Parts: sequence; structure tokens; C-alpha cells
Amino acid sequence: MLILQQVANGVLLGAIYVTIALAFTLTIGILNFLNFTIPPIFMLSAMTAWAAAQFGLPFGIFGPMPWTVALAFGIVVAILASLLVERLTFRYLKVRYGDATEHAIPLVSSLGFLLVFQNGIRMAYGTEPHRFITPLGDMSLHLGGIFISLPQVLSLALALIIVFSLSYLLKRTRTGRALRSIAENPDAALLMGVDVARIVPVIFILTGLLCGIAGSIFAVNYGQVYSGMGDEVGNKAIAGMVLGGMGSIWGAIVGGLLIGLVETMSIYLFGGDTVQSVVWGLLLVALVLRPEGLFGHHGIGKGKF
Amino acid sequence: MLLEVKDLDVRYDRLRAVKGVDISVGEQEIVTVLGANGAGKTTLLRAIQGVVRAARGSVRFAGEDVTTADVPSRVRKGLVLVPEGRQIFVSLTVHDNLLMGAYTRRDAGLAAEIDAIYDRFPNLGQRRDMPASVLSGGEQQMLAISRALLSKPKLMMLDEPSLGLSPLYVQRMFDLIGALNRDGLSILLVEQNTSMALATAARATLLELGTAVLAGPSGEVAASERLTSAYLGAR
Ligand SMILES: Nc1ncnc2c1ncn2[C@@H]1O[C@H](COP(=O)(O)OP(=O)(O)OP(=O)(O)O)[C@@H](O)[C@H]1O
Ligand SMILES: [Mg+2]
Repeated sequence: MLILQQVANGVLLGAIYVTIALAFTLTIGILNFLNFTIPPIFMLSAMTAWAAAQFGLPFGIFGPMPWTVALAFGIVVAILASLLVERLTFRYLKVRYGDATEHAIPLVSSLGFLLVFQNGIRMAYGTEPHRFITPLGDMSLHLGGIFISLPQVLSLALALIIVFSLSYLLKRTRTGRALRSIAENPDAALLMGVDVARIVPVIFILTGLLCGIAGSIFAVNYGQVYSGMGDEVGNKAIAGMVLGGMGSIWGAIVGGLLIGLVETMSIYLFGGDTVQSVVWGLLLVALVLRPEGLFGHHGIGKGKF
Repeated sequence: MLLEVKDLDVRYDRLRAVKGVDISVGEQEIVTVLGANGAGKTTLLRAIQGVVRAARGSVRFAGEDVTTADVPSRVRKGLVLVPEGRQIFVSLTVHDNLLMGAYTRRDAGLAAEIDAIYDRFPNLGQRRDMPASVLSGGEQQMLAISRALLSKPKLMMLDEPSLGLSPLYVQRMFDLIGALNRDGLSILLVEQNTSMALATAARATLLELGTAVLAGPSGEVAASERLTSAYLGAR
């Protein structure tokens, strides 16, 4: 039974990794851009939600918000932050040099943004954890001896909805087809009349949305947020994406879940000290055996933009 | 004239790939551009489509100056390029490739047009839900042309469509170009297959190192000594 409990916890942790891994895989698969601002935007969204619930908006524009409104506000801020990053890293460089991904500059400037977001939040709210209180915290379901908290159930449902909507968007809609065609061949997509510069922000909006939702899931489930929360989650999400295969949606889902499960299982079986070595060791072995990842294919990131 | 290009210059950094070229295509006319490798044929077509910027000169299409217009708006006006090497989306299904061709359209009637394409090319219809990578070279070229057709073009530019095709498919391809033209489509054709291109087109322009050295009715160009020397003595 304890094992099943660990599986439930691992799946929840995995759901957070999956959401962030999806954000990474979208930008890498379509734009060939490893966006380092994803983990800090995840953190920013959760911290914003906490601050909004605690203090409301600055200058007394709005008093402390109910937790649901605060979470929604955090998601909106995440989307805006992501669009800002697009404007100032990707688009600026594309306009200036014609080809954003042939240069390491977007990568480096996104690293710069990481530091700006993180240190800004640190200066404002410190590095210590803050409690994010919701009335759901203590409610839980008994399922044959294991406890599943209400936030866990809601989070999983939310993660599933996200995955299916994203997959629907990419597979079935006009915008999704355009995004997939840009991923394969931006030059040919342009010849079809796709306005590549207008559609790139869609990816950043989706990225911000995914980060915001992951931030909400984290805040509600663990009941606390802190300025360093993006680091661990970001690294594990990248691991999940690479394990699953870069640029693949199903890869991000399976990879993120696997990393979450391996992490909770190794804590349960071998203790907390071993987590890092087990997770990263496993990733290394997996990559030696299958360098392109579980669902990946070769050729990701060649000749983009 | 449907398309009128005047004194067009295109540069890649210091290299002048197209130098002061004039070319025009009338309603329902087929015009061909010939020239050796590196003569600037692809660059000319890409500049007309707006993929590369003109450094000098003007492009008028359907009565409008489109010299500074972006690619999507040129597609919406009815100008489409079937690029060198086909460039179909091999990771998308055949059907999705066709839908991408209609990307700029919002009108009804698309489904019927796609059905007509599947009737014309049963090989595409049978593989509509498979990734386009399963198609043979010839089928891929038919898909590339069909995809371009779905943007409802007035002028279709084709960049070496016969390249790498079997003789059977080369023939089918030229038949298709003829049929589309009889249905009202204007065509600007770049070809290495000089004899078939000259037999199909009404007028021809010969490019040599970015300059149009010869232009006129296909019969006259075919008879010119300049044509053979352009290919033999290039560079
Ligand atoms: N993207 C580019 N950057 C720099 N130079 C280029 C580029 N594309 C083409 N060129 C150069 O411009 C000149 C014309 O090339 P272009 O591809 O237009 O010729 P082409 O007539 O289409 O040749 P081919 O028959 O081989 O297709 C060549 O010297 C080529 O090297
Ligand atoms: Mg060429």
C-alpha cells in the first residue's frame, strides 16, 4: 500500500514535470530554442499568486485576492512575462540578424532573463518559503487504503486537460498545422502564406500558460512557494523532455511522469540522499541506449530560421 | 500583364545574384526562365514571391505594386511558388499538406477542391492520412503542385519541377502544367529540361550570371546560338 501511495505522489510530481517539459519541448521542437526562462516564469507565476493572495496588488489598487483569483492572476502574469521574453530575446534577434537560432544569443539572453526574474523575486520576497493556503489542503479521498488529496486529483485532471487540448490544438487546428509546418520547414511554411513572425508569439503564450498552470499545481499541492522552486523542477523537466525525446509531446508526457515516479520511488526505497544520482544516472543510461529519447527522432533543430 | 518585373536586382551581401532583370507574364500565358546552374533563376523566383528582398527595381502583380509586400499577402493576391526540391512537409499527412496549401483561404468549397485533387491523383487519395514521406518523388511533386493550387493562384511559379523525376512523371508533369494553363492559370516555369520547357512556353528568358541575355518567343530562343553557349560556356 505504501508503494501505491508513492506511485500516486510520483504521478503528481510527474504531472508538474510534464507540464514544464511540454513548455520546453514546444519551444525546442518548433523554434529550436532552449528557453531558459521557463523555470523562472513557473516560479514567478506561483510567487505572484502567493503575493496577490497575501497582499493584493501594489499601491492599494486591489486588496488581497481569494486564492482562485490569485492563481488565475499568476497565470496571466506568466503569459505576459513569456510574451515579454519573446519580444526582447527571440523577436529582437530575429529582426536584427534575420536568423535567431543560428546564434547562441537568444539562449544567452534567456539565461539573462532567468537571473533577472529570479533575483527580482528574491529581492522582493526573500528566499524563504511562503505558505500558500487553500481550503482544499486537508481534504482527501481514500481509495483502497491510499490517500489522494483533493488538490492531487484536481491537479491531475488539469494536467490531463492541458495535454489533450494541446494535442488537439497541434493536430486538428489551422494554427496547429501551421506550427507543425514551421517546426519542419519554416521556409516552406512561409511559402504557404504562414506569417511566421505573427505565429511565434502563440508558442510563447502557450509556454507562459503551461508554466502558470504548473505553478498553480505546485502552490496548491505543496502549500508553499519559494524563489528557488524553478531550479529543481526545471532541471527535472529538462531531464524528462530529453528522456522522452526532444520536440515530442508524448515524449514530454512519458518522460516527465517517469522522472517523477523514479524520484519518489528512489526516495522511498533508498532515501533522500540518493535521488539525484538515481535520476540523473538513469537518464545517462537511457541516453546511451537511445540517444534520441523514447519518442524522439533525429533531425530536431536542424535548419530552423 | 499579370506579372511585371522591372529592373530587378537581388543581392546576397556583396554578390549580385540578379542584375536588372525585366520579365513579364500575361493572363493565361506560360513563360519559362532558362539558365545554367547558379544563373540566378531560383533567386529571381524567390524575389518575385517576396522571400528575398529586391535591392532595386519593382514587381507589379495583378495591377498592384507588390515590391515591398510580404510573402503571405502575395500568396493571398494569387501568387504562389512551388519551390525547388518540392519542400513538402514530410512529417505532415498528405491531407494536412493540402490543407497547408489552403492556409490563406477562409472560404467554403475547399473540401470539394481537395476531393477533385484526390480524383485526379488517386495515389494521393489512397495515402491521404499517411505522412507525406511515404510518397515517391513523382507523387511528391504532384502533391507540391496540388498544394500550391489550393491557394487559388492566378500565377504559379514552378522551380525545376521535373528535377529528379522519371521520364514518365516528367511527361505527366508537363501534361499537368498544360492542363492547368488551359483552365486559366498563368505559369512562370524555371527548368533545366530546356527542350520541353521551350515546347510548353510561349515566351522564354535566358539568364546568364544574373543577367537576362536573351528574351523572346520560345521558337526564337530555341533557335538561338546563345542558348547552347549559355549551358556549355557557363562561367
Ligand atoms: N542564400 C544564399 N546566400 C548567398 N548566396 C546565394 C544564396 N542563394 C544563392 N546564392 C548564390 O546566388 C547565385 C544564384 O543562385 P540561384 O540559386 O538563384 O541559381 P539557380 O539559377 O537557381 O541555380 P540552380 O540551377 O543550381 O538551381 C549563385 O551564385 C549562388 O551561389
Ligand atoms: Mg535553382
